[in-house]
Amino acid sequence: MTTSTDTLLGLEHRLGRVFVAGLTISASALSIGLAAYLLLPDSRLPTLLLNGGLAVLMATPLLRVVVSIVEYFRLRDWFFVITTIAVLAELMVTMIYALTRR
Amino acid sequence: MCAGVLAGGLGALLGIGGGVFLVPFLNSIVGVPIKIAIATSLMTVIATSSAVSAGTAGRNLINLRLGMLLEVASAAGGVAAGVAFQHLTERLLFMGFAAVTALIAVLMLTRLDRRNILDAAVDPGTLGGRYFDEESQRPVVYRVKRLPVAVTASVAAGVISGSLGIGGGILKVPMLNAWCGVPMRAAAATSALMIGVTALASVPIQYAHGFIQPPLGAAAVLGVLVGSRAGLRFAGRARSRSVKLLMAVVLMLVSTVYFFKI
Repeated sequence: MTTSTDTLLGLEHRLGRVFVAGLTISASALSIGLAAYLLLPDSRLPTLLLNGGLAVLMATPLLRVVVSIVEYFRLRDWFFVITTIAVLAELMVTMIYALTRR
Repeated sequence: MCAGVLAGGLGALLGIGGGVFLVPFLNSIVGVPIKIAIATSLMTVIATSSAVSAGTAGRNLINLRLGMLLEVASAAGGVAAGVAFQHLTERLLFMGFAAVTALIAVLMLTRLDRRNILDAAVDPGTLGGRYFDEESQRPVVYRVKRLPVAVTASVAAGVISGSLGIGGGILKVPMLNAWCGVPMRAAAATSALMIGVTALASVPIQYAHGFIQPPLGAAAVLGVLVGSRAGLRFAGRARSRSVKLLMAVVLMLVSTVYFFKI
């Protein structure tokens, strides 16, 4: 089944909210982390906040992909289900490669 | 931080991420090693992508169907580049920068007045789209042409994104516009959505290899976020012709700088 433009537009709106939430959390952690880095260079807090902020930043598009798979599955739009799962599989290859090289 | 703001503004405006400006700035002016500049830039590409996509969502400019299809191709390129990144030499990266930026600038200049807009009654097909254009105040319809070309170019864009840290939109926007019939603004919005996932296919590997310094990464990301807000506000009003001209001039400059570094 091919999803109508209006349904896609509604989905686009909801995916937009994922981006806003991810960016807000990430930008807050990075700003506080950067300030802490300048004020308390010896503390572990800045490292934690900076790495956490960057991790949330990277997790945002990943979350968008996961949310889209669920939504497209619900809509039974198989074109999107297949392409989105393919993208997620590629990102998983990267994640696993990165985690095993640390 | 200032570089981040400037790069973010221009990047959001052009839908290509700020990398094409940020990498040369961090590398040539601030003096950061090229690989760290590239990885930092790629991190900001994710931020630009999320910020622009949040802003353009609901205006129907993003072509989700085409975007997801090409994302499969560009993420594959991104994974390959991420894995190969630590083995690439600086000289090779400089050459890549000079060549890619010059190529795109020429492509942009030869297509300055191309519009790619059909009559509003035309059926856009499965992958085409329609949206309301703020510049001309009327609905715009387009069809997607030469899909295999778009898929191939997306793989290349993914490889370039992951190895040069420039988003990959730098290749996708002119390609979608010039070869595949997608209007500039829809191409930019679709590309902006794609570059985040493309960058995410290589950034975690560079992060694991230590090419990202968290404080520098944070400053760049915050700067780009501030800049992309300003750029997005301007993007709805700017004329496509001047957007292309600005893009081409900046690209020629970057190309010249890196040509002399080889």
